Amino acid sequence: MIEQKVRKLNDYFDRQISLCEQCNIKLLADDRMDEAAFEKVKANIYDVFRTIFSVAVQNGKGDSEAVKSFFILKTEQIPSNWATAYNKAKQYDDAVKMQIEQIKLDTVGEIKKMFETVWEGEE
Amino acid sequence: MTEAEAIRLFKCLSDKSRIQILKSLAIEDMYVERLAERLGITAPTVSFHLKKLADAGAVASYKSQYYMMYSLKKEIFETSILEILQEKSDEAEAQARRDAEYRQKVINAFFEYGKLKAIPAQKKKESIVLEVIAQAFEFDHIYSEREVNIMIADFHDDFCTIRRDMIGERLLGRDAKGYWRVKPER
Repeated sequence: MIEQKVRKLNDYFDRQISLCEQCNIKLLADDRMDEAAFEKVKANIYDVFRTIFSVAVQNGKGDSEAVKSFFILKTEQIPSNWATAYNKAKQYDDAVKMQIEQIKLDTVGEIKKMFETVWEGEE
Repeated sequence: MTEAEAIRLFKCLSDKSRIQILKSLAIEDMYVERLAERLGITAPTVSFHLKKLADAGAVASYKSQYYMMYSLKKEIFETSILEILQEKSDEAEAQARRDAEYRQKVINAFFEYGKLKAIPAQKKKESIVLEVIAQAFEFDHIYSEREVNIMIADFHDDFCTIRRDMIGERLLGRDAKGYWRVKPER
């Protein structure tokens, strides 16, 4: 049964989004505007992959392998544009864009790792 | 420092992390990891802030052995805010150009072959027209009222109104000896 893993991952996404939102508020209050914006970027990535995960679960219809392959595929497909954008930003020495793309890539990397840990873990 | 540079610098400074970085660099030159450790933020975030500070002209970098060191550009911070405010505005030239264009437009509309077609009803336009007429008068020369009337009549028949308004506009001065062209203040 994969319900427990699904719940675990949904809890993870909710927790991370909530953490980012709290950090965003804290950083804004501390006049750290750019870092606050970075937290928003991170929250958006968690939100995007929470949605993708729910689609994966829905489409998988209880098939653990189908959920996994769909979700892993998306964690590789979607960030490929970000990697391109990062390289382009690097080429033009655009530190702001580079930082944003790096945050997106780091966040999706963390999500992928967490998914694999939960999905491969003992039920 | 130009107006655009000042705006970029002030925008850049309105961030606590960047102020903390500058405060650290005011003590001594530092590299990214040292700043990250000191300020409790990640090295990529420090690099991001340093890039912004460098773009705003607030910090400089140089290589020292294996490290890229960052230093405060002290000369930027030695500039007083008043000095920045007293800098000629980038907008000043554009404003002056727009003023000159407007002035020429009024002159073209109210003068034809050197004659004033009508006395403008609008004060600003009338001032421009009167300034043009005033140019017919020499500085440091006393004119009799008759001379003034004749000179103004070359532009427009209603020389009485124009003469009176030129005095009102302080383009002409008057006393018992006669009339003279008032020198502009600047």
